[in-house]
Amino acid sequence: MSLAQQFGFLDEYAKKEIRRTSLKAVAIPGYQVPYSSREMPMGRGFGTGGLQLTLALIGEGEVLKVIDQGSDDSVNAVNLRAFIEMTCPGVGTTRVTGEADLIQSRHRIPEKPLREDQLLVLQVPYPDPLVVVEASEEKRKQLHGEADYSRLLVKLYEDIVKFDEITISHRYPTRINDHYVIDPSPIPRWDVPKLHMSKALVLLGAGREKKIYAVPPYTKAEPLAFEDKPFRVEAFLDERGRRRACARCGCDSSFLDEYVDSNSGHQVYRCSDADWCDEQLTRRSAPEVING
Amino acid sequence: MLEVSAIWTAQVQQQNYRALLDAISHPGWVKSILHQAGSPASTAVLATLLDAEVSLADPEGLLEAADWPLLQASTAAPEEADYILCMGSKAAQFQPRLGSLPSPEQSATLIICVDSLHEGELKISLEGPGVNGNADCAIAGLHPDWLSQREDWVCGYPLGVDLLLVDDSAVLALPRTTRVEVV
Repeated sequence: MSLAQQFGFLDEYAKKEIRRTSLKAVAIPGYQVPYSSREMPMGRGFGTGGLQLTLALIGEGEVLKVIDQGSDDSVNAVNLRAFIEMTCPGVGTTRVTGEADLIQSRHRIPEKPLREDQLLVLQVPYPDPLVVVEASEEKRKQLHGEADYSRLLVKLYEDIVKFDEITISHRYPTRINDHYVIDPSPIPRWDVPKLHMSKALVLLGAGREKKIYAVPPYTKAEPLAFEDKPFRVEAFLDERGRRRACARCGCDSSFLDEYVDSNSGHQVYRCSDADWCDEQLTRRSAPEVING
Repeated sequence: MLEVSAIWTAQVQQQNYRALLDAISHPGWVKSILHQAGSPASTAVLATLLDAEVSLADPEGLLEAADWPLLQASTAAPEEADYILCMGSKAAQFQPRLGSLPSPEQSATLIICVDSLHEGELKISLEGPGVNGNADCAIAGLHPDWLSQREDWVCGYPLGVDLLLVDDSAVLALPRTTRVEVV
């Protein structure tokens, strides 16, 4: 690809359409605004929705962080970051959450609380939470407009009848500003409360499904639940009921990934958010450095 | 030699878009718009958002004739248009598109030119998504009828209109979700 390429890869008409769409998405919180998702030089389903948003948003001098499942070094993050570096000269990249102006992420929201001057772009595979109960998009749009989520609630209730709790582990249906229910992308339950009254604007892009939607800052985001079956996040308890900690940094307040130690065959838990884990490790080892 | 203002360049439009995104994400924030000296900031806002895919109504004839071909937008009556350029000192004489229940985004965005977003006789307090608690604003050059008309337009959420108030150098947004109280 030549360096004489248009800044941001997309032509200005494509960017303008995404910009107009994103403004309507913020004005109607949680509503999936359709747009004519462009062909990108990677397969749909590999984060093209988030990528198109980032390319329409970003400008020279800004600093970007790209995350895939909490890590900046996973294959999707590495490729998207390389593509943006190639097509957006003058844009900086970082792995440190606090240094980023824009964060594009797949499947996680950083553990470190985001600030008002930061912006989070989430890659979305399936934007419509009603698709499990209604096949026709025309009918789903009507149900969304009327904020009629009774069939979705019945689906959750069936879970309770069968399993005594709601078994959705990720993509947890979340109601925005008391009206639209969104699919918050495949983030774990752990991350859903971070959307509620978030200081940062959250934009969600589904490239294959051609939808953009938003959770504006300081906006209610409430996971669907029942009065007697409240929403709860992952507990990460061990056999004795104690909260597990990260085997690397010792943090006992982060979302943990489970690994199997190839030597011992035992389960090992580590922070999913790589930058958070590094920060905790530095913080923990800092006093030793001073003493040493 | 044909000289084109910087508001038509990709770089300035990216920065102005981010100002608009900040403004609509935080109703009550007054965000600076990069614009050409001697030309209203509203033209820079239109240049950022419009192209041949959308339509613009200019019932008061505020836009310079030379800017129309650059915008590429088609003209439309205010009742039909995607974007409407309005004069704040005069109450609206039209009914903008409010969208439909399945497609509330097919509603108009109003760009309303006012005298000042920093001080003025009209004091309002805002509440709603994007506002941390509430936000106080003072605006000069906005006819009070605009707010009561807006109430009628946005009362059937998710239907409604989104307002971008623009003075000579900045923008303040009132999306349909914002609750406005005159104080």
